[in-house]
Amino acid sequence: MRTYLIDNDKNEHCIDLRRTTVHSSELVEFEFSLVKDLHYSNTQCIFVRRLAGQYFVSTDNAHWKKLARQDLPTIFLNVNKVLSIYRGYKPSGIGGASDGGLVTQMPGKVVKIVAKVGDKVTKSQTLIIIEAMKMENEVKSNIDGVVKEILVKEGQALDQGIMMMTVEPQK
Amino acid sequence: MTVKRILIANRGEIAMRIARACRELGHVSVGIWTDFEVNARHLEFCDEWVHLPGKSNKETYLNIPGILKVAKEYKIDAIHPGYGFLSENGSFAAECEKSGIVFIGPNPKAIAAMGDKATSKEFAKKAGVPVVPGSTGAVKTIEEAIKISKEIGFPILLKAVAGGGGRGMRQCFTDEDIKKNFEAVGREALASFGNGDLLVEKYIVNPHHIEVQILADKKGKVFHFFERECSIQRRHQKIIEEAPSPFIGDDEVLRKNICETAVRLAKAVDYDSAGTVEFVMGEDRKFYFLEMNTRIQVEHPITEEITGVDLIVCMIQSAFGEDLGIPSQEWIKRTGHAIECRICAEDPITMLPAPGKVTGFETNFPQGTRFDNCLYKGLNVTPDFDPMVGKLVTKGIVRDVALRKMRAALDGLFIEGLKNNIPLLKIILHEEQFNKGHYSTSYIPTVKPQEKINTEFDWMRAFQVMASIEARRMGL
Repeated sequence: MRTYLIDNDKNEHCIDLRRTTVHSSELVEFEFSLVKDLHYSNTQCIFVRRLAGQYFVSTDNAHWKKLARQDLPTIFLNVNKVLSIYRGYKPSGIGGASDGGLVTQMPGKVVKIVAKVGDKVTKSQTLIIIEAMKMENEVKSNIDGVVKEILVKEGQALDQGIMMMTVEPQK
Repeated sequence: MTVKRILIANRGEIAMRIARACRELGHVSVGIWTDFEVNARHLEFCDEWVHLPGKSNKETYLNIPGILKVAKEYKIDAIHPGYGFLSENGSFAAECEKSGIVFIGPNPKAIAAMGDKATSKEFAKKAGVPVVPGSTGAVKTIEEAIKISKEIGFPILLKAVAGGGGRGMRQCFTDEDIKKNFEAVGREALASFGNGDLLVEKYIVNPHHIEVQILADKKGKVFHFFERECSIQRRHQKIIEEAPSPFIGDDEVLRKNICETAVRLAKAVDYDSAGTVEFVMGEDRKFYFLEMNTRIQVEHPITEEITGVDLIVCMIQSAFGEDLGIPSQEWIKRTGHAIECRICAEDPITMLPAPGKVTGFETNFPQGTRFDNCLYKGLNVTPDFDPMVGKLVTKGIVRDVALRKMRAALDGLFIEGLKNNIPLLKIILHEEQFNKGHYSTSYIPTVKPQEKINTEFDWMRAFQVMASIEARRMGL
């Protein structure tokens, strides 16, 4: 059994590949199930056919669709979210930020750090200002707490998914 | 005609667009490559490249001495600034002139006259172009504000002299409103801009943003290329434009009036290139001058599509003092209807810029589609530039056909990996009021199309992607 993980912001979806049936040298059938609360739900059979180096997919082995060409490993866009698909395991250090951690949602430059280490902050208080594409964006605290660590400097250019600051929740 | 060497002081889709026009005219196009855009697609379409070192826009596309230095070194005859960057910088145009390089744009005097919002309004008034009625200077007392408001008619806007970006203004519908708000707005203005002076201006309810394309040569001939309606905006930036304006519709008297007003203003400033005169039009169909853009605009393709004239080619011809090949205004005819959607790297719901990497890019467009873009698989959209990556333009014999083609074109544009505004554009193109042509600049704040976007997780696609990964892994 092979497990897939989909990184959906702070939620992770876990999908099991439950069955693989090889029909011929160019046709394989997979059965996927979504794992939720230790139960299987949303089971789906997908047929994959390889023709001329391209992959075609179908749910019923009758109506075929070609996947648009794109690179592996796979990320895919679902309307307003860019999701990553990991096969088997999830590399450490990617996503999964704990509550209270401020992670860049997009690449940008730190314009101003508003809070100091040890500051008491409240939920949705602005802590850092990031500039990206001619616009300033306020990064707000998602919890009430105390600023524990500041990991970036003003003027620093950051990639997506970088931890900028940690906030310790207040009990 | 002699072959000229034209430096394109811009990037992205407009650089590709200018390179195309240079090729058509037989000129040599020279692109700029910078250290952070070595793979830029526009470079593939220029005849030559020059390198501008530096890591920021200030050191590259905005670096006047740097650009002039490479221009001299590479024996450049003319510079096309595109839009943004140095396109409306009067001192850059003047510096070019001093260095003996042709600036492909209007003369520095025209840029200076129209560059500043306040002075351009004074200029327009003198040329007999209507401007938004209001006080001529700062209003000192409540009584004065009420008196002016009664003259110009309610509703009015109390506005900080030094204001901007939608801050430091308040709408007033009655005398009471003015009494209530006057001091508060003054305090706000003083706190935010350090200047508490206020202006009174007529408040135009549900305004339409309508602009007229102008083209002039060096011999004093000024033509207009009809109007464009650019009322679908977010963050005060246009996202959908169309020509002709559905609000003006078949009111040819109004159309003629607004276009000729724009020509009058262009003549008054001795305009000699491509430019745009922007107006606001109220629900009562009265229009007022807003500003003049002394450059080629992002949305120029829709005008090209309905008139069949290549504006950038004409702009280059005009800069070299050549004839535009247009005998008179009567020769400029419009046919059909064109719509443009700006494709931006942004979150379709929050409409905030979202840089990222394009991992897949495919197109399949209907007849009558034009896609000016700088996209390719592997393109890394960085936060350093504007998020616009392409302009999708469709043309139809009537508006409904252009809309139908646009819906099909949006369905035929596939961008993977990069968040983009296509889902939002699709909602607007299917929305009833937009389809009827009933919209103003308050469309996005009131209709809120972003709330109708379905963000449900597409499990079927996720399964399909996983299946293909698995199939490739097992060597199928």
